[in-house]
Amino acid sequence: MENRSRVAVLISPSAVFLVVLFLIPLGIMALYSFRAGAFGPESQVFTLDHYREFSRNATFHRLLGRSAWLSFRVSLLAILLAYPVAYFLVFRTGESRLFLLTVIIVPAWVSYLLRVLSWKVILGGNGVLASFLEWIGFQPGGPILIYSPEAVIVTLVYVWIPFVALPIFAALERIDRSLLEAAADLGCGRFEAFLRVTLPLSLPGIVAGFLFVFIPTVGEYVTPALVGGPDGIMFGNLIFSQFLRGLNWPLGSLMSLAMLVLILVPLFLVGRFVRLSDLAGI
Amino acid sequence: MRAYRRVTLVWMSILMPLVLALVLVACGSGGGAGDEPETETETSVDEPAATAEEEAAEPETADTSAEEEAAMPEEPLLVLEWSGYTAPEVPEMFGPFTEKYTATLEEVVEYNLFADDAEAYTKMQTNVGADLVHPCHSWWGLYVEAGLVQPLDTSRLSNWSGLHPELAALGEFNGEQYFVPWDWGYETILVRTDLVENVPESWADVWDEEYAGHVVPWDSAESNFIMAGLSIGITDPVNATPEQDEQIKQRLLDLKPSILTYWVDYTEAYDLPQTGDAWVLTNVWPDAYGFLLSEGYEVAYVNPTEKRLGWVCGYGISSDSTNLDLAYEYLDAAIAPDSMAALANTYWYGAANTEALPMIDEFAVEFMELDQMDTLFERTYFPEPISEEKRQIMVSIWDEVKAAP
Repeated sequence: MENRSRVAVLISPSAVFLVVLFLIPLGIMALYSFRAGAFGPESQVFTLDHYREFSRNATFHRLLGRSAWLSFRVSLLAILLAYPVAYFLVFRTGESRLFLLTVIIVPAWVSYLLRVLSWKVILGGNGVLASFLEWIGFQPGGPILIYSPEAVIVTLVYVWIPFVALPIFAALERIDRSLLEAAADLGCGRFEAFLRVTLPLSLPGIVAGFLFVFIPTVGEYVTPALVGGPDGIMFGNLIFSQFLRGLNWPLGSLMSLAMLVLILVPLFLVGRFVRLSDLAGI
Repeated sequence: MRAYRRVTLVWMSILMPLVLALVLVACGSGGGAGDEPETETETSVDEPAATAEEEAAEPETADTSAEEEAAMPEEPLLVLEWSGYTAPEVPEMFGPFTEKYTATLEEVVEYNLFADDAEAYTKMQTNVGADLVHPCHSWWGLYVEAGLVQPLDTSRLSNWSGLHPELAALGEFNGEQYFVPWDWGYETILVRTDLVENVPESWADVWDEEYAGHVVPWDSAESNFIMAGLSIGITDPVNATPEQDEQIKQRLLDLKPSILTYWVDYTEAYDLPQTGDAWVLTNVWPDAYGFLLSEGYEVAYVNPTEKRLGWVCGYGISSDSTNLDLAYEYLDAAIAPDSMAALANTYWYGAANTEALPMIDEFAVEFMELDQMDTLFERTYFPEPISEEKRQIMVSIWDEVKAAP
């Protein structure tokens, strides 16, 4: 009994934090989605109009799908690029691994906006890439890749790689080396050992990395606005314009809730195959 | 079994917010105190609306000279303002006021900053206790309609007579003056003349195949709606009928294949023409044109046959302001000819007070055509204030265009 009250004391600060700054605001947002308007007498009228509008609006659905698909590709690419790096760090670098890990994380200290903007410098019409191509004899004659959904993917993958590398690094480091020795003793080639021992054991890290990237990128709006061009906008940009351009807070709230539900889907799917507790390394 | 429980816990923590949200909804507006979004006074330390206690409190500088004490009003003025326009930052734009209160300026006027008009309107709606607010004219009607600002007594403004009469008239609603125009500017087409064969002469020309892949519109629902409307001969796009709304949407969809990207922040209107990727930018403000000219770029700032768009921003006094004397004093200082000339020289926006003209740099006068103020409204279309419903229509049309496959 005493034990229980001790636990209660320990968790209560974070519980209060969660309730006051997360659950209650979320409730307010849900409440707003039923209001007729954001201000004045209209905010006292409750209606399902916004739900009807949302369910009928093909633009919203298409963009929600587009955002999810884009984030999925970003997460996948980030994992593919980060995995070899994490693998190399854990198994090949020995003493210097912590230093090298820091080197990977350092770029993440630079302002997010600056890292996004730097891609405009790289991919722009008289940018680094175009100048280089010109120098080696090609004539790109304009911006390369930028102002397109692909530019959004490239930028986001670049931004998020460190955050994927970390959980994979942690998962790989937890692997007991004697398992690999045992695999070798039992006649397993290096590649087979990787496929049958290392990869499955690092799966929690991969899944954690996937979620780390997928969840925040679905709601992205800065990167698409800066490098996405005419066809690269995402659902987050629509939410932004409902709140900050259209003054339609109720619809904006509903759209945010819809995105939340969208994020719960992969979480649920993942939960069916991987124990979520493993992700935290418990 | 243990693992199962952990999974349940994790799921609980994810699903609980949803359940709680539903519970809160079920309680109706029982959320009570939490309903009002939080607002923050960014630059001031004190509470915006000074309490009686604070009023009674002696100024900290009690032992300073009698002269300075006289220049200490009872409570500070709270101005809801764009960043970059606060008196401590740009004292010359509020000359007479900052001179009078030099020593105590930071205590006399406090600011609550906003980044765009929607934010300013939201803050006014949530009662931040501002005395003055500085929105742009397409929003003025909303403020008046919602009763957020009070009719002004222009006889209390000694510099009122110098204001451009047509700009001032935009601040008039139901026969009363609610807003004092201050900064204004054009929104029109900016072209890199060295990169195109034909310089566009009208808004309709923006749709020309020649510029395909190099057109950069401003990411503004309102301006694009109006531009597209003007380009197909709708002279009053703000009051477009539903059929015209549909035509305007189609028109914007037609432009989409030509678009390189949108400019969002004003600095992009400076940068994109310099890279050479953008040839034709629309709804660009005069400062970007002035900047590119001064950098030596070959650019033109088009006078479209359908007229340039115009915007003007200005000050209104909150309907529950308790600091009227100081508010009028501040306002009168802002529209003084010297202050307005400082605005034009610093930011390259137009000055609503025509008496500022002799003090504005020749370069700025020339590229903004400030010496032709009498024909301003013949050359420029200042849209009527936009209703909340119309604004939502414009936003959803522009969103649909941007999201089109």
